[in-house]
Amino acid sequence: MLKKSIRFLSLLFGATLIAFLLVSFAPIAPVQQYVASHGVVSSEQRKEIAAYFGLNQGLFTRYMHWLFGIFHGDFGESFIYRMPVLQVIGERVGNSFLLMFSSWMLSGCLGYTLGIYMGMHQDRWIDRWLKKMCLFLSSLPTYWLGLLLLMLFAVRLQWFPVGFSSPIGLENHNVTFEQKIYHLILPMLTLVLVSFSSLALYVRQKVITIMHSEYMIFAQAQGMTTWQLFVHHVLKNSLSAALMVQFTSFAELFGGSVLAENVFSYPGLGAAITAAGIKGDVPLLLGITFFSIIFVFFGNLLADILQEKIDHRLKNGRRRQCGNPSINS
Amino acid sequence: MHRTIKIWRKYCLFVSMICCIGVFTACGKQNSGNQSTSSSKEQKQEAIIALSNVSEPENGFDPILGWGMDASPLIQSTLVTYDDQMKLENDLATDYQMSSDHLTWTFTLRDDAFFSDGKPVTSEDVVFTFEQAKKSQAAVDLQMVDSAHEISKNQVEVRLKKPQITFLNTIATMGIVPKHAYDKKYGEHPIGSGAYELVQWNKGEQVILKANPHYYGEKPSLSKVTLVFMDEDASYAAAKSGQVDVALVAATQAQKKISGMHLEDVKTQDNRGITLPVTPNRGEVNEDGYPVGNNVTADPAIRQALVYGLDREEMAKNTVNGFAVPAYSEDDGMPWSNPEVKVQTNLKHARKVLDNAGWQKNKNGILEKNGEKASFMLYYLSGDSVRQAIAMDASAQAKRLGIEIKVTGSNWDEISKKMFSNAVLMGWGSSNPYTSYLLFHGSNKLKADYYNPEGFDNPTVNNYLDQALAAGSQAEANEYFKKAQWDGQTGTSMLKEAPWIWLVNIDHLYYVKDGLDIGKQSLHPHGSSWPLLQNLDEWCWK
Repeated sequence: MLKKSIRFLSLLFGATLIAFLLVSFAPIAPVQQYVASHGVVSSEQRKEIAAYFGLNQGLFTRYMHWLFGIFHGDFGESFIYRMPVLQVIGERVGNSFLLMFSSWMLSGCLGYTLGIYMGMHQDRWIDRWLKKMCLFLSSLPTYWLGLLLLMLFAVRLQWFPVGFSSPIGLENHNVTFEQKIYHLILPMLTLVLVSFSSLALYVRQKVITIMHSEYMIFAQAQGMTTWQLFVHHVLKNSLSAALMVQFTSFAELFGGSVLAENVFSYPGLGAAITAAGIKGDVPLLLGITFFSIIFVFFGNLLADILQEKIDHRLKNGRRRQCGNPSINS
Repeated sequence: MHRTIKIWRKYCLFVSMICCIGVFTACGKQNSGNQSTSSSKEQKQEAIIALSNVSEPENGFDPILGWGMDASPLIQSTLVTYDDQMKLENDLATDYQMSSDHLTWTFTLRDDAFFSDGKPVTSEDVVFTFEQAKKSQAAVDLQMVDSAHEISKNQVEVRLKKPQITFLNTIATMGIVPKHAYDKKYGEHPIGSGAYELVQWNKGEQVILKANPHYYGEKPSLSKVTLVFMDEDASYAAAKSGQVDVALVAATQAQKKISGMHLEDVKTQDNRGITLPVTPNRGEVNEDGYPVGNNVTADPAIRQALVYGLDREEMAKNTVNGFAVPAYSEDDGMPWSNPEVKVQTNLKHARKVLDNAGWQKNKNGILEKNGEKASFMLYYLSGDSVRQAIAMDASAQAKRLGIEIKVTGSNWDEISKKMFSNAVLMGWGSSNPYTSYLLFHGSNKLKADYYNPEGFDNPTVNNYLDQALAAGSQAEANEYFKKAQWDGQTGTSMLKEAPWIWLVNIDHLYYVKDGLDIGKQSLHPHGSSWPLLQNLDEWCWK
């Protein structure tokens, strides 16, 4: 546990330092980006803006200042939004979380179900078709797929809105839950389509291994039906493995949601992190990096715990000298 | 047998797919029909306008942090404002006086102005606005202001550090905020005395505005306006599916037609031009240590040849489908712009100038003089397709003269180091003539602010610009600004000195739903989102 904590803290420190150095050395002219769309700004005023951004201080001072703030729970103030970073993140995290959580659940269910189905029908025509489809989908770029869905379902067919999280021109108190869900569908679908297939392929492989194992052949020989086989053996043995894979996919999920949010003008962290990167808003970028690291680390930690549990079970199984771990557990 | 089943399966799949597509499209058509009829009935007083997603003000609708400075603050009102000819007229102020030393301005406020919360606009609010804006370290540049004082309930006195007539232009876009309702969160819940009030702002999505019932001016015809922020692709998609009434479109994309909408082509002073270092490279550096000067562009003959040798009409056609007009100065069409500065493309003249100056073609067709090739780098902001196209076209056209322009895409950070010794493609276009001062006054040369990287410094011009700022009236100032461009002998324009080669003013293009009248648009400055809404109170459905 201590080892994990140390690893976590060093990861946080290292990743935020790298993010800080990257954005500091990136060829961005933050003041020019900031004033670009505003009337006439003389060089005297530009110097004041630079002072506000803290650009007149050294790199080391700026990073230490930020780090020192973190220990006090102060994430600083975003340059471009001129608001505390936590507030900027707080305003947007809800939408992003809803998007990520729903697509994570859906892609998990879909990927797992398809994977089981494919594995249990190995090498039949439907398995071959689905496998091809999965390989195809998993190699699609999120942005491109998003645009395609947008053009087909929002522009051509007009089944779904072209973007946003609620209807255009409607005041918040009139927006219903159904409308929120309705606006969520396309970006969610984009994320699901690009992410479920890797899980499906993984589960398929896992199921095939199970189907070819000795205990499975034994069970089949005993005359168990396909449904019984599935419930008693396949489900138990593949579920935790699938969950593990799904938990480790948090990083891709986060990256994908940034892209999907941009395509569908969905107001989550995606737009904020894009703006922070383009305009050199160091505190905001570091703040979002900080929390995304926690998010991804948390996912991996859960996967680790699951892995340990599985290992544990496997060890128990071996100790009892039995070919079928699931029967013993 | 097995094979026939396989083929039969494939056939079934194919047929079902075709059926699905058929059903989808049928539904789609039905839907769009319904939507357009229902919306046109309801929207007689409403409009939905798609703006660029980068134009959403991150700081909120707070004039003190720069909101409205590029056009009009909409929600707040200003002491003075522009008419559609870009002349200043009174707004919140019913009158203003300038002291004889041109340092003190006294504004008299109208007594029928109220904020949207019903409280009156007083001189206290005006003074508060000036004080806050001065110390905000944001994009409102009130460096010229010394202090602001309340004289009476409806009179305010503003003292300047030195005479500056363009102070009026600066405050023409600076909205007045209420002292009683201003705090750190003001930008999210602004209260103002403008034609519209903010009902709701969903960040990253939309802004809902409705007509301010307390507004002292004429009631706008559109009682509810929703602004949505979208990137180019999403905005096109929204227009095509009938979900918005107005959508921005880039000049490179505007040939596409959308049924039920027409293309509005608004003329601008949103110019693009090339800055050319006017001093030779003597190994000098500027205050930040970046190299200054360029031996090729410092030759007046090279600059003159480019002035007459580049065909701007052709460039407009080649680069933005003709949605641009030739540019001849930094502020074509403004009341302070000199109409005499136009030039005619004349390749013969351009060649003669080069010939007279001793430039001769080498075996590769590039001009040479004393062993120096007529070749220089031209930087542009990469990622901006229009700038790229213009830079490439300028390079191709210059080749006809034997001048080699090496085009390089880059970012502002790198350009800010290279711009003092290389040519850069830049753009301005502002409703404030102070821009001309910053662009061409010697005191502002070679600074990090991108205005005068070419190092232009001409005593006569400096003198005119100083006199313009110190002028006692707008009209007087305009005359000096015109003289700074061309007084018959010298000036900042392309007629002689040509520190800039002005190329094109790019039109701002919008898909507008048939029946929506967007009023008489004034010449737009740089930036196509907010300037469109400057006259939102004149818009109506026909």
